[in-house]
Amino acid sequence: MDLVRHLECFVAVAEESHFGRAAARLGMAQPPLSQRIQRLEKELGVRLFERSSRRVTITEAGTLLLAEARELLARSDTFLATARRIRDGETGLLRAALSPDVSGRTVAALLSDFRRRHAGLELELHELSTAEQLAAFTAHELDVGVIHHPCDVTGLELGPILRRDLGVLLPREAPQATDDEVPLASLTGYDLVLFPRAHAPAVYDDLLTACARGGYTPAAVRHGQGASFVRGLVLSSGAVALGPRDTQHADPADPDLVWRPLAGAPLAWRHSVAWPRGRGDAAVDAFADAATHALRTTADARTETTARPLHLRPASEYWL
Amino acid sequence: MTDTATTGRLHAAFADAGVTGWLHAVDIDSGAQVEAGADQPVCTASVHKVCVLVTLHELAAAGEIDLTEQVECPPAGRTPGPTGLAAMLDPVRLSLRDAALLMMSVSDNTAADLLLRRVGLDAVNRTTARLGLTRTRTVYGFAEMLGTMREDAGPAGTRALTDPHVIARLRALDPARTNRSTPRDMTRLLSALWRDEACPSEYGAAMRRVMSLQVWPHRLASGFPFDDVHVAGKTGSLPTLRNEVGVVEYPDGGRYAVAVFTRTANPAATLPAADAVIGTAARIAVDALRAP
Repeated sequence: MDLVRHLECFVAVAEESHFGRAAARLGMAQPPLSQRIQRLEKELGVRLFERSSRRVTITEAGTLLLAEARELLARSDTFLATARRIRDGETGLLRAALSPDVSGRTVAALLSDFRRRHAGLELELHELSTAEQLAAFTAHELDVGVIHHPCDVTGLELGPILRRDLGVLLPREAPQATDDEVPLASLTGYDLVLFPRAHAPAVYDDLLTACARGGYTPAAVRHGQGASFVRGLVLSSGAVALGPRDTQHADPADPDLVWRPLAGAPLAWRHSVAWPRGRGDAAVDAFADAATHALRTTADARTETTARPLHLRPASEYWL
Repeated sequence: MTDTATTGRLHAAFADAGVTGWLHAVDIDSGAQVEAGADQPVCTASVHKVCVLVTLHELAAAGEIDLTEQVECPPAGRTPGPTGLAAMLDPVRLSLRDAALLMMSVSDNTAADLLLRRVGLDAVNRTTARLGLTRTRTVYGFAEMLGTMREDAGPAGTRALTDPHVIARLRALDPARTNRSTPRDMTRLLSALWRDEACPSEYGAAMRRVMSLQVWPHRLASGFPFDDVHVAGKTGSLPTLRNEVGVVEYPDGGRYAVAVFTRTANPAATLPAADAVIGTAARIAVDALRAP
């Protein structure tokens, strides 16, 4: 008996509570589906479903077996994905990427969680900007990554979108450093330290728009990414930097710099896991789950709860 | 053949504005061209109204339609839109050619569907085929297109159109599944229209008139801030998509058909730089065509 195929049928019928719908989902006719369930029940010596003329109900024995059946199927998917990677000459390897603003703690949490979910597969982790990840997806050099939004999502599938509120990194002697929360508009007069635009052009533009919307239009934008370089710019050049709490480049004991939240949380990074459409598999799913979980638990990332108002102007030409 | 400096300037302009862009520009009289991804299949959106316009006038020229025929447009069942008949509240009676004016000048979706129903989808496909636009296809009207967007957006409606998950699944943004063309096909259409090859000159003049009455200043026209340069065009927009095709005419007789199609990485609805780069790119192309 093809156990995997029979378990797929079992799980589908359990989830749909209906032979017709389960058959449609599996892309097969109803009579062979019924036969498979009967054969599985005979093989296991356990009755999995109660059938009445109108509906199918899973038995208690079936419920007890369902979780393990799902686990076995997931393992089977993983096995096949690994085999496919090996067959495609990629070895048992998942090529994944994170953007440079992800903290070391998040990387560590992601790696250990991924190993727990997917012990057999090697994870090759790269530090790549969103633009580099999108190019690598197109070139088939990357399987999955954590990207910044907004970006061009053509041909991608996405995990849940999470936001990390941004705060501001200030010189300790700045007047705003004494506030618990800094109003964005009060940063007027400071230059802004930001990542180079080419790393994620739409995120860069969107952030400057959000700053302007909040009353802060920096006279100059200075480009920097590494922690010590950003620190140097903030300390020496009348600039401030933006960043989430977990990657603030100043710990509370820092004698020179402080990190403060922005009043009303007007700025955020928005992330999701992304992978090329149709190239998802169990390994990609495991990475997506591990990365999403790590961002939630170690990087203060959360689901966006309030959608901004959207006023379409007449030149938009569309209207729903 | 487009020189590398021009290609570089076009790509830099598109990148600065945060868009991916595809362009074709042609000197209507000499046939000289500038191109950047000119054969890319693109979603036409409201640019497709040019195809409806030409079909209408072709049928009029053949004596099958009277452009002064009066039609009723009751408030119920209008295709949604922010302009023209689509935004009006009361019953309207107007001629087919005035409906064409609204369709072209303010991109009136109701007027476009009214005309599209009158001529039929098949007639539009016959017209574009006859003019040699082999990569252009009309698959549905504007009500149906907006209907797929409503379905794909789900219960949150318009507000969901800035959600990356929704953008990734909108069928209206997939050239394989919606009204489509290429930049090169569109300049071929405009060249035929300006050379009176699409229709006899009396009808050609009527079409050029309504294309010159388009109200939007923010895209193609913004690249030509010169009182003595004439710009006629038709825009097209959907979430992340901003298009315009048109003809730019200089007082020395130079006339250029330009088609620019763009896609933004940012799904925000208000992105003035993405609108303006259509004019910037068109100007780069026209300047290259006019260079001595």
